[in-house]
Amino acid sequence: MDFRFDIIWDYAPLLLKGTLYTIGISLSSILLGSILGLGVSFGKMSSRWFLRWPMQSYVNFFRGTPLLVQIYIVHFGLIPLLYGKTNAIIAAITALSLNAAAYTAEIYRAGIQSIDKGQMEAAKSLGMTHGQAMRFIILPQAIRRMIPAFGNEFIVLVKDSSLVALITAPEIMYWSNAMKAQYIRVWEPYLAAAFIYFILTYTLNKILGAVERKV
Amino acid sequence: MKKWYFIAVLTLVAAVVLSGCGAKSSNNNAGGEAGNGGEDVTYMFATDAAYAPMEYMDKDVISGFDIEFLDLVMEEAGLKHEVKHTGWDGMLEGVKQANEFQAGISSISITDDRKQTYDYSMPYFESINVIMVKEGSDIKSALDLKGKKVAVQSGTTADILMTGIMGEGNTDLKKMDSNAVALLELDQGGADAVVADIAIVRDYIKNNPDKKYVEVSDTTNFTPEYYGILYPKGSDLKAKLDPAIKTVIENGKYAELYKKWFGEEPNTANLLNAK
Repeated sequence: MDFRFDIIWDYAPLLLKGTLYTIGISLSSILLGSILGLGVSFGKMSSRWFLRWPMQSYVNFFRGTPLLVQIYIVHFGLIPLLYGKTNAIIAAITALSLNAAAYTAEIYRAGIQSIDKGQMEAAKSLGMTHGQAMRFIILPQAIRRMIPAFGNEFIVLVKDSSLVALITAPEIMYWSNAMKAQYIRVWEPYLAAAFIYFILTYTLNKILGAVERKV
Repeated sequence: MKKWYFIAVLTLVAAVVLSGCGAKSSNNNAGGEAGNGGEDVTYMFATDAAYAPMEYMDKDVISGFDIEFLDLVMEEAGLKHEVKHTGWDGMLEGVKQANEFQAGISSISITDDRKQTYDYSMPYFESINVIMVKEGSDIKSALDLKGKKVAVQSGTTADILMTGIMGEGNTDLKKMDSNAVALLELDQGGADAVVADIAIVRDYIKNNPDKKYVEVSDTTNFTPEYYGILYPKGSDLKAKLDPAIKTVIENGKYAELYKKWFGEEPNTANLLNAK
């Protein structure tokens, strides 16, 4: 069979290192993106226009442009502007977090708005403030509904993180590309990468399933 | 339940692998037929037309030195051909499977690792890598690049050479998607140097005089390398085209084309003696 396991074996240590980077970059971006997204979603739902409009534009921009373009803009524009020079890993986490924030913002909003208005009215009629009603009545119910959508977003993010290979963040796809370059063979690097990504997302899926049952 | 899942995944992976290989074995026949078919066969060449001035898209027409050189060779050999822009990966897989494409031409350096999978024509172009740095840099040779940040285009021989010097897995060596992005990385301070083909570095320095870049050559650590036409293993096209390539180089047509694109005389003696 014309499939060279020896070159995959050759690159296995690098692919393993790349996997750790992929996990690190994805986890940081999921975390930062979710926190940022919460702020964006409250801004977007705000009754004050000067909060609502910028956040609305933010979501429109990040959902309306390709992630790859955002990665390049952050890597060659934003990070050199703030940091003085490029840095692939910082740029990768920044771009993925900013992108995830736009999507998670919509998940928060959808979750919160899916709770019947009567719940808020009932909470207020019991004498709760708006904040208390949110914390004790609305959010606990909304979060349950958000979990599947979050799971989906997380899995998409792990897979999309492969794009940061193009700005040389040394993750799975980066080393897979290096393997391809050295031997100019296509199948081995791509199938090796596909296999690792599958294991990652499959594991994530299992964890999310467990969380869903617990909550 | 868990076992069932695992078997399903294995089957899927196996199916993909086998379909890749299966396609290869059945398509080799088609490639063979094209080879034996006689005069009215049109040979299909794949290229990654994103490496100016060697091969690039001039609007929607594939142009460049390699493309015009191929025209000369095919004319000399009395064969018809067409070139299609497939991208790098598409070219590699297309040539390997040998059903749609019988060969690839795309500034492909001849290396031993690559010969394990493909056959090459005789060398048709000599190139060498050089280092591009800011004026006044303390980098004088390739070995000075150890411990510095270096940007290269992934998959080029610059990548392979610098991987050899800096060590496999070294993340200070930034393997970029294209030379254009590698040069941008240097502009934005993400790299101390770019290593690339001499033609590309000279072109960039000439077009960006305000950026104060200089070329550092290191003929000890960077040796000349040769481009070849890429064939699937066992292709009979090599036997047909190698004499034509030799003729075109010897009869002066090659030098004429070279001067047109690069404004100087090629060293054809090196080319003919290269292994």
